[in-house]
Amino acid sequence: MAEVMAQVVPQQTIKLKDCDPNFVKEVIKAGGKNAHICFQCGTCTAGCPTVYAMDYTPRQILRMVNLGMKDKVLQSGTIWLCASCYTCQSRCPRGVEITSLMGALKSLAIKEGVDVKNIKGPAFYNSFIDIAMSNGRMFEPMLFLKFAMKSEGSLTGAAKAMMKDAPFGMKLVMKGKMAFVPHKIKQSKQLKTIYENIKKMEGESE
Amino acid sequence: MKIGYYPGCSLEATAKEYDMSTREILKELDVELEELDDWNCCGASAAYSTDYMLSLALPARNIAIAEKAGLDVLAPCPECYVRLWKTNDAAKEDPKLLEKINKTFKGTDLEYKASVDIRHPVDIILNDVGLEKLKEKVKKPLTDLRVVPYYGCVLVRPPRKNSFDSAENPTSLDKIISTVGATPVDFPMKTKCCGAPLILADEDVMIKLADALFSKAKELGADCMITACPLCHMGLDGKQTSIEKAYDKKIDMPVLYFTQLIGLALGISHKKLGLDKNLVSTSKLVKSFSAAPK
Ligand code: SF4
Ligand code: SF4
Repeated sequence: MAEVMAQVVPQQTIKLKDCDPNFVKEVIKAGGKNAHICFQCGTCTAGCPTVYAMDYTPRQILRMVNLGMKDKVLQSGTIWLCASCYTCQSRCPRGVEITSLMGALKSLAIKEGVDVKNIKGPAFYNSFIDIAMSNGRMFEPMLFLKFAMKSEGSLTGAAKAMMKDAPFGMKLVMKGKMAFVPHKIKQSKQLKTIYENIKKMEGESE
Repeated sequence: MKIGYYPGCSLEATAKEYDMSTREILKELDVELEELDDWNCCGASAAYSTDYMLSLALPARNIAIAEKAGLDVLAPCPECYVRLWKTNDAAKEDPKLLEKINKTFKGTDLEYKASVDIRHPVDIILNDVGLEKLKEKVKKPLTDLRVVPYYGCVLVRPPRKNSFDSAENPTSLDKIISTVGATPVDFPMKTKCCGAPLILADEDVMIKLADALFSKAKELGADCMITACPLCHMGLDGKQTSIEKAYDKKIDMPVLYFTQLIGLALGISHKKLGLDKNLVSTSKLVKSFSAAPK
């Protein structure tokens, strides 16, 4: 496990030409709500359960978002290590919706197709949404399979990952806690329509 | 009382025992459940991590179904609960957002009004059933059982207006534990994240966070832990052997859904509560409390 001490990143010069002044607006539109009102107190970082493994602390991410450091932010491991625990968001004295912001950053990274080595978050979220949108309900065996395929990138890699998790899967099967057939909702067409509408709306407001 | 039941995907599969025990105890406590017709996955954390509007539209479809039936929504899974109430509370306050969500429904017969309320079973038991009534119904007090009330994250966070509990120091599960005759362990990590959302994406992180909880629980002499969350349960119960393996030690800590704990005290059979479905054996608990009538 990589224990990255985010706090001791050496001082760097931030070049304005590498910054995108529109980034913060983009983030807010993607669900990042009020990212711009952060006053850098660090309360978010202090309570974050996964900060020990992050490359940038939540406070640093906030600063970087506001400076427009788009590439660095979207390529950071931090956003994928966010467990969506809402501790930071509950405690922020400015009321910044940090967890929502982390979600917004994940969605932007996914939309931009950012691919970071050893980061499996996009594979997980994409697999989950694929199944939720086509069936209307989760189907765990398919989730495991899709996730293994997407995160390992090859059939053999996927098979290896599946083997590793097989004993756990078997236990769930034995306890009657894993379905064999997916449940498709009656009105799954509605979900398709909703998805198409959303895509259209995104196009319009751009 | 009657309420619209939104089990959510987990309760149909990996958290079947949560579904079974929730239905059982609420029947005993005179809460009638009507499952929402053709409900869909709420999108969980995956929806807002891929598309913001989708993360509102998916919960809203379910609430629209409940509105048609004229019912409030009961969501036992905290992840579903937070997705549903966050969408609904925001839409109630912001007509523009409500309109935008309805725009995603164009071409369907769905209409979302943000007119009903989203509730959690802990809230129902505390504020609708009431602890007094729960106490009256207890047949087998769980005397001398030391229980960790593990709240996790999204049951009480982020803070909700008029929430049934505090985000920093929640006490609802503590009260339920006392009411069924057991002893709540004063657990300093009761709202500390167990890492389970990262089970698939980064198992090492999850193992480290969950292990810290177990170490503390052991140190404080706990007999078992309770949770209201299928995801926490997957990490703490489902992956407990992985944690034991990673740190080469024995944990052997039963992790129950709070509804299973209540069910035991209400004298409901362990089979009906799905206590044989937990991966860490609950047989000691079942033996102690299933056969000892008051
Ligand atoms: S707690 Fe809030 S104000 Fe303080 S650094 Fe974090 S986001 Fe900024
Ligand atoms: S929500 Fe994410 S960033 Fe905030 S404290 Fe939890 S893990 Fe850290």
